[in-house]
Formats: sequence, structure tokens, C-alpha cells
Amino acid sequence: MRPLRFALAQGLLLSPALEAVRAIGLETPDRAADDRRLVVRAGAIDFVFARPSDIATYVERGAADLGIVGQDVLMESATRVLDLVDLGFGSCRFVVAAPTSALERSLDEYRHLGSLEVATKYPRVAREHFERRGIPVEIVKVAGSVEVAPRVGLADWIVDLVATGATLRANELSVVEEIATCTARLVANPTSFHARRAEIEPIVERLAGRTAVVAS
Amino acid sequence: MTGPALAPPRGFRDILPLEARELRAIERSVGETFALHGYVPLEPPVVEHASSTLPVRADRLIRFLDRDGALVVLRPDVTTAVARLVAQRYATASGALRLAYFGAVFREEPAMLGAERQHDQAGVELVGVSGLVADAEVLALLAETLARCGLTRATIEVGHLGLVRRLLAGLDAGATDEVLAALRAGRVVEALARAGAGGLDGPSLTRARHVLAARGGMPADADLPETAELAETIALARELYPGDGSDGPYVANVGLLPDLPYYTGIVFEALSEGVRYPVAAGGRYDELLLSFGTPRPAIGFAIPVPRLHLALYQSGWRVADERPLVTLRPSRDVRAALRVARALRAKGIAVALGDVAEHAGLELVPLEVVDERTVRDASGRRTPVDLVAARLAG
Repeated sequence: MRPLRFALAQGLLLSPALEAVRAIGLETPDRAADDRRLVVRAGAIDFVFARPSDIATYVERGAADLGIVGQDVLMESATRVLDLVDLGFGSCRFVVAAPTSALERSLDEYRHLGSLEVATKYPRVAREHFERRGIPVEIVKVAGSVEVAPRVGLADWIVDLVATGATLRANELSVVEEIATCTARLVANPTSFHARRAEIEPIVERLAGRTAVVAS
Repeated sequence: MTGPALAPPRGFRDILPLEARELRAIERSVGETFALHGYVPLEPPVVEHASSTLPVRADRLIRFLDRDGALVVLRPDVTTAVARLVAQRYATASGALRLAYFGAVFREEPAMLGAERQHDQAGVELVGVSGLVADAEVLALLAETLARCGLTRATIEVGHLGLVRRLLAGLDAGATDEVLAALRAGRVVEALARAGAGGLDGPSLTRARHVLAARGGMPADADLPETAELAETIALARELYPGDGSDGPYVANVGLLPDLPYYTGIVFEALSEGVRYPVAAGGRYDELLLSFGTPRPAIGFAIPVPRLHLALYQSGWRVADERPLVTLRPSRDVRAALRVARALRAKGIAVALGDVAEHAGLELVPLEVVDERTVRDASGRRTPVDLVAARLAG
């Protein structure tokens, strides 16, 4: 049987994820910042480094057995993985934001025109949120810098992921409402989880135990 | 210039002869095993009413309006169709119905099923019987079916919805439904948070987390009635079909919750190493028939055939017991070749006249006709037709 594969998201979550893995007594890959290797063996585990948005896909399709990924990625990708442990770190929020100065005007527009334009990098999260709220919106998908959308007239509101809110403030946007708080999660491929329980169980238990300690 | 579209519509594909031959071999083994256990075939139509009882999210269904303005759906599973059919045709039947099917189902976006929108499913439904023996019967039938198809190293993970509900005892019905829905979707963190918010006490929550998020297997406190039921069901299945190992292929796993809303009792999935999705799934669904107005206990399973095929392929399986295909090159006297073909076929040997463009992976035996009693093989040796027939038929 091949070694257990553990996918880690490159970027902001990587160093706390490696720290969590190290803290539960697993060997972590010896990998310098400029290392180009994407699969690195450490102990009995192959660590796979990938873009955050790909981790859920790797795990859903069983290319990796386990992964650490932001809940935001899980929500937007709607992949079917087992979301097992809230790891506590990497906290951020999905919010609806609008220009601070023009909030009242956009609400007036909504009352008159019956619909709002919402720019976002996360169309699924945005659409589901407004469906739940019963507000008709037109979703405008953008690939980046969504904060600029209201200023240039691309959309009335935005849905974005924020950690501190500094970017929103810098662009004169304020939070209209919060959609969800997201944290990093330990996820597993359902088939791997059942078939390789003996290897996966201690990792789940220790990560869950560590999170409980950190949280208290 | 653009000609007519040659590729099938999106999400559908042509199955070419080599693959089709292997799929037919699987269908034969599956059908023979089902028949051996007293399951009789049934063929509901591929189109059903688009009702709310379907187990698949609306955006994954292929639906359309027919000329009468009725919303119909290409069936996403066969179990629901069987439930409808039983409610209509067998509403007053007493005793057990043992029904088997092998046919196409249609869904948007399935994974590893060969085509995006259509694949074959094989399965059985045992209707009208509840209890551990019935559960064990279906469990063992799945194990035997996979083995007779040639998949000898599958494990069958067996869980119990009743046991999961027991872990959540103390929650009200609404909260329990929400927790189960989250668990079915794999959102264990959310499920446990909801259970905590719904008032499940600390020790129960810890126990639920151990069982559902980590340990699987049997809960440590094995005195729950459902735990004993689960163990006994597996023991009975072992009697019916022990497999080749000492414990059989069955593994208790309370953490197992398949992504289908209608299960009420035991649930199970067959896993094969290297195949990243279950090769079969099933369970007891005592309330589905009630939604068609006929309360009747039922249990069944379905095998997504492309995944079984993939598992077999990965284990090195090839279609067994297939005789080679003789290709006859006629001599100047065509009638001699026709008589040789007739003589060989009378012995059960497959014969094609002339060259073949597609042999579907069959071994080819090219023979050149000399006269109606003699052929010449590839090495140029003359052999009597009778001798060739005896050798190939043996």
C-alpha cells in the first residue's frame, strides 16, 4: 500500500499547518522556502503541497488521503470530503460589504429596482447566501481585487473573504453582514478514511485534542 | 466545412467492443449470483416522474418536460423506481420480494463512472422482510457477487444508522435531522457543533466525536442494543458467505454514513484498494416505500458497474473462458469456406469470414481455407478441420 498522502495548502496556512502537524509528533518535511518539490516524504507520510483551492479536489478524488484546507475553500468548491477537525487557526470571515458612503443609496436602489449587483471571487458562497436571505442579486464573478468593484460601478456590493478588515477600510467599504466565520480544517477522503482508519485515527484524535487544548 | 456532430452529447459516450465485452462478462456474473440467491430480474423504465422522493439533489438530475407538460426525469437510481413499482404492483403481496436489476442511471457530475451523465448500476432489493437475517442475506449477497465477479480483496464496511441515532439520543427530532444531514454530507465538525448547540452533553459529544470523526469501528461501550445487532448481522453474513479469509470481508464501522437520505438501519459500502470511491453501497430503507403509500420494510444495494470494472481492471482481471475468434480466409472456392465456417460453429467455435477490423481483445486464430476439410494455419501447416475444431473446442 502506498504511504498516506497528506496535502497541505501553500500560502498563509502552510506554516501553522506544519506547526500543527509537528505538534502532534509527526515528522514534517524538511523543505526550504524556495524548494520546488511538491511531494516530500517525511516519516511514513508523503506530504503534497498544492494551491489551497486544489486541496479539496485532491482529497475529494483520493489523490490525497488527508488535507489541511480553509473552510472557505470547502464552502466555495462544494467538494464532498469529510470535514473532521476544526484546527482553530487561519480564521477569516466571508462578509457582504458595501461602500461606506453609499450604503443608503444602494438600499434605496434595491427598493426601487428590486435587485442588486454583487461582485465576488466566491460566486457559490454569494449565491447561496442571498438565496437564503431571499434577496435577488446578480452575481458578477471577478478573479481579483473585488474591493474596487463598487468604486468603478461594476457592482453595488461585494462578497469577500476578510481576515482583519484592513483592506475593506482602505477602500472605504464597510461590512453589511457576515456570512460565515471560517477556520482551517482537517479533511479526509471518505474512502481513505474508512479503508485506512488505523493510520488516520491517531492523527485525527491528536489534532482534535490539540485544538481543544489551544482553544481552552 | 462542418459536418454532423460525431461525438455523443456532453456527458455520454460510446462503449467500444473491448470494454463492452468486459461489461457483459460482469453483467453475466452479477446476474448469475443474484439468481442463485432467488432474486428475479425487474426492468423499470429509464424515465420516472420528477417527484420529491428522488434521493439526488435537483441540480444533479436530468429533467425535461414531455409533450403532455409533465416534468419527467431520467432515473438517477433504480431503488426509487422499484419502491414506486412495488407500491403499485405488489401493494397487497405478503412475503418477501427479491428483485434484481442491471441498467442505466443518469446524473449530472458523477465521478469515476466512465461518463459524466450515464452509467450502469446493478443491484438488488429485498422487500417485505426486516430483521437481522434479511440484513445478513443482502450483505452476504454483495460479498459473494463481488467475489464471483473476480474482486476477491474488497472489504465491506458496515455501519448502523440506528446506532448513530443512539449516539445522538437526547436531541430533539429537528436537531437530529440537521446533525444527520451534516454527517451525510461529510461535515462532521458542523454536525458536532450542531449537536452541542442542541443540548447534547459533554460526555455524549465526546463519545460521538470519537465514533464519528476518528475511531469508526465499534463504540467502546458495546452494550447498546444496536451494537449487538450489528455484530450479529455480520456473524450471520459470515455463515452465508465467509469469503476466503477467516473473518470474511465484513468490517464493523459505525462512522459510515452514505450520502443518501433514505437509509434507516444498517448501511454498508464495499471498498477496494486503489479505487477511490466505493464499488458498492447499500442499506436498509424502511421508510421509502411509505412515501409511496405502502409501508414495507426493505433493504438493498447498488453497484456502480464502471467502478467495479475499474476495481477488477486494477486487480489484473480479464474476461475468463472466452474462446478465440477464428478468422477464415476463403480460397478461390467460396463455398468451401462457408462450409468450414458452418462446421466450426457447429462445434461452438466463433468464426468470422475475412479480415476483422475490431476483435475486442479476443485472441485471433487466422486460418486459410484449402478445401472444405482442410485449412492452413499461420505457420503454413495444413490441418484437417476436425482436428482444428477439437483443439479449439477443448
